Amino acid sequence: MEVMLTAGLSLATLPVAILLGGLLSGIDRRLTARLQSRQGPPLSQPFFDVLKLLAKERVVTNPWQAFAPVTALGSAALALVLFAAQGDLLVILFVHLVGGVFLVLGALASGSPYSQIAGQRELWQMFCCETLLFLIAGGLYLSTGSFRVSGATGLPAPLLFRLPLLFAAFVFALTVKMRKSPFDLAGCQHAHQELVRGVYTEYVGPHLGLLEIAHWLEVVLYLAVGSLFWATGWGMVLLPLAAFLAVIVLDNIAARLTWRWMLGRGWGVAFVLAAVNLFWLKG
Amino acid sequence: MGFVARLIGKARRSSPWLLHFDCGSCNGCDIEILACLTPVYDLERFGVVNVGNPKHADILLVTGTVNQRNRQVLAVLFEQMAKPGVVVAIGACALSGGVFREAPNVLGGVDRVIPVDVYVPGCPARPEAIIDGVLLALEKFREKE
Amino acid sequence: MSDAIPLVLIIVPFFASLLCLLSRSTVCRSFIVIATAAMLAVSSLLLQGPLAPDAGLQWAGLIDPLIIGGDFLLLAIMFVLGCRYRHLLIVLLTLCQLGLLSFLEFFVFVEEQGHALWQVDGLSLTLVRVVCIVGGFICLHAIPYMQAHENHLLPARSRQPRFFAVLLLFLGAMNGLALTNDLAHFYFFFELTTLCSFLLIGHDRSEEATANALTALWMNGAGGLLLLLAVWGLFRQSAQLDMNGLVAAVAGNQAALLPLTLLMAAAFSKSAQLPWQRWLLGAMVAPAPVSALLHSSTMVKAGVYLALRFAPAFAGTLPARGLILAGGFTFVAAAALAISQRNAKKVLAYSTISNLGLIFACAGIGSPAALAAAVLLIIFHAVSKGLLFLCIGTAEQQVKSRDVEVLRGLCARMPLTGMVAVLAALTLVVPPFGMLLGKWLVFEAAADHFLFYLLLVLGSSLTLLFWVRLAGTLLASGELAGFRPEKQPFLSRFPLVALAGGAVLLALTAPLLHNRLLAPLSAQFAAGGSGVLSTAAGSFPLALLFAVAGCAGLLAMIGVSRAMAGRKGAAYLAGANAGLPGHFVGPMNRPVRAVAENSYLVPLFGEERWNLWVNLAAGGLLLFMLGGALWK
Ligand code: SF4
Repeated sequence: MEVMLTAGLSLATLPVAILLGGLLSGIDRRLTARLQSRQGPPLSQPFFDVLKLLAKERVVTNPWQAFAPVTALGSAALALVLFAAQGDLLVILFVHLVGGVFLVLGALASGSPYSQIAGQRELWQMFCCETLLFLIAGGLYLSTGSFRVSGATGLPAPLLFRLPLLFAAFVFALTVKMRKSPFDLAGCQHAHQELVRGVYTEYVGPHLGLLEIAHWLEVVLYLAVGSLFWATGWGMVLLPLAAFLAVIVLDNIAARLTWRWMLGRGWGVAFVLAAVNLFWLKG
Repeated sequence: MGFVARLIGKARRSSPWLLHFDCGSCNGCDIEILACLTPVYDLERFGVVNVGNPKHADILLVTGTVNQRNRQVLAVLFEQMAKPGVVVAIGACALSGGVFREAPNVLGGVDRVIPVDVYVPGCPARPEAIIDGVLLALEKFREKE
Repeated sequence: MSDAIPLVLIIVPFFASLLCLLSRSTVCRSFIVIATAAMLAVSSLLLQGPLAPDAGLQWAGLIDPLIIGGDFLLLAIMFVLGCRYRHLLIVLLTLCQLGLLSFLEFFVFVEEQGHALWQVDGLSLTLVRVVCIVGGFICLHAIPYMQAHENHLLPARSRQPRFFAVLLLFLGAMNGLALTNDLAHFYFFFELTTLCSFLLIGHDRSEEATANALTALWMNGAGGLLLLLAVWGLFRQSAQLDMNGLVAAVAGNQAALLPLTLLMAAAFSKSAQLPWQRWLLGAMVAPAPVSALLHSSTMVKAGVYLALRFAPAFAGTLPARGLILAGGFTFVAAAALAISQRNAKKVLAYSTISNLGLIFACAGIGSPAALAAAVLLIIFHAVSKGLLFLCIGTAEQQVKSRDVEVLRGLCARMPLTGMVAVLAALTLVVPPFGMLLGKWLVFEAAADHFLFYLLLVLGSSLTLLFWVRLAGTLLASGELAGFRPEKQPFLSRFPLVALAGGAVLLALTAPLLHNRLLAPLSAQFAAGGSGVLSTAAGSFPLALLFAVAGCAGLLAMIGVSRAMAGRKGAAYLAGANAGLPGHFVGPMNRPVRAVAENSYLVPLFGEERWNLWVNLAAGGLLLFMLGGALWK
């Protein structure tokens, strides 16, 4: 009985997460417009975008472009549901990677040079996010003795005080995941001069729409991971929200950098910070 | 019309993604189009996004004259747009060839190569006119349903 | 009945090998190989542990002298080889081994007591089944492969009889190595695999092949010498050669640490761990079945088998910590070097080295979770990697290149082989497939070892990167074509399809596997009937993952079929598409192919830049282990 209840509740998070993800994307666009002294689109804009995309014609250059979006959406959704069910963070991270893998496979399969270059960059971006998130999972284990998400809830003091440097690494990973400057190398909306739309270039209509939803879910998942740093009371909402807003502001004041920079200084610094934090927990 | 169909229609009209193709213009009209996206006019209010890829575009904005060399490109871009899509020709050049229509390599307006839904006149077309044209194009989606 | 199976598993391939050598007819030889493979597979499945302790003891009086004779014969052959190729190192190593072995056999081991002949537990059963089943499939695949190989090379006299003879001999040697409980016998089988690998690597007799085969011979010979030294040291500590008894007897014995560390060093050379990687990389000149059999799924597993066997006696000591670090370092460094490789076989070779490093690290940790993870990794790695080698080999025969950029878009040219390769690569990195299950267990086990956890995170991320890149490159056809499998001989296709099915099925049954093979090894695990694997720190809902993956796959396939019914477009090329797929209109209206190669980042990850440093670091870690053993 209890299992059914947990399962039901966890599944119920999906529609909520989709709404939340779309809304966050709307806030992002609105806020960005304001920062550029424009009015910006209504908050509901992302939903209309996705709905329109879903209703468009399907055009593919290669069957993998039809295969990838479904798997990407499925993996993001499953990862979120597992998170809601307070599962094992390692498993959640493994599952969430599947989406990225198929996104890149579909992009590479298209044979388009733009997708091809962006696919390579996307792989490096995945590398950056993956390593840092696994270190966060390590931090979770070292401070709670378990990889389960449930371990973070009900702690006397927020994890942030024990994992401050890991939180900095988390913000870096969030920037990369949200495809924001300075690390919007592989598929941001504004990359069109250089790589058209990067890994998304060859995904058309409904396929792009599904990927968009998958991306919302992924951002929500990341924010949920961020909420682990302060898993009590309002901090659970405020801390990830603050990180989210910080990333948007950063996006508007920073220029896009090269992947070398991302890997060398961005990731390098974040990784060292995270490792120092783990070392300090250990010692 | 069912609820879903109406919702989709609304979504289409609320989320026009533009592809701007410079088909050999003098850059006058292009600058006016970009002006539409600046804070003064802020086309994004209407959900407009300037995309760089025909595969993601709903509206193809074409400026400039069509000539022997770029007619293929124009045709390919139009063909690569996922349906439904509309075409807006902007400026005297795109309408008829404009001041260049007598040149030996010029074919004339955009509609010599692809079907055009909305014509926006002017040399260059004013931003207000361009915005009007885009909004008119959105109404064309209703006709295409 | 079950008592005789171990003997069957060893003797049958030896006899079949002799028959192969004698038969000049292809049909006859193929029949022998197929029959042997089938027989081995069935007997390995029939074999169940544990055997009675006196099983087979009645033959011990016969086996012992045979093996001692075999030892000297092997060393004599190696000595002759060393002289013939004027390879001083091999001569010296062999002479050392000859001297030491005679001393041990005639003066030291004489007071040895009788003990159980066979060792049949989860670990050895795993290795035997991997050898017999995966190895069997590889042998089947070798039949048409070698035919085509000779059609291409056209030697004056067919060298296939010798090839298959050595291949089968090797299977017998591996079985013996896995099943024996006597350390001296283990040494014999260990050396036998060394000789087989020399013969197989040098099979083509080109200059390069011979040189690389000699490298393999001396490196593994050095491993053999280390092993012999370790056997001597261990015997001095507890006066027995009974492997099972030894592990229990020397656990916690400080004085036994040095021989144990030497044992690990020997295992390192067999498994081509850094800094011994050169022989495995060189071995890639051999025909594809050799690479698949020796250098991915079986022979290199002999090293990790040895390490895992003795892990319980080793765990928790200072050298064990060194082993964790050395394994972790190999895991990361080999994965990083794999990124810079354009040669598909070298990518596979490096990734094999990398994965074995992970298994060594598990042996160093030595906790039940880590050992369970190691065994799972051995199984899944053997199936997927063997499969990948076969695919690349099959493709190489058609495409005549192993350059990844030439193999680009293989799925359009050879849909079946290409798709199987993509599937195999995915089973290595994507959940719910088995490798990830093993990796997850490693993560859980590693969390208490801070430095290793860092290495693990880095290495597994790098691994993901180059596998996805390879799979994507194979897929990058850019063209839309229906899936029409290419024509190929049944014996080429059957192993590919069967192993691919096996990779998926094995992952599906992983909890079962875990219960059957490993439950005794790791009593603290509860692999529940609900398909959830749990440890103290987490749980892996395998059944749920499979269910969701199945549903998503099905939905995705529906999406694919709908998309295929719709409009097909060409890739975006700034509107300048030239009609031909992937071409744009270039100067003079000529079509030009749009090319974007993978970024291999050679300046960053290249071998030239790192080889020296990597070897120094790995050598340093080995010395650290030895030093740790001597200290205190
Ligand atoms: S219409 Fe006028 S401004 Fe526009 S492109 Fe033509 S000449 Fe230039």
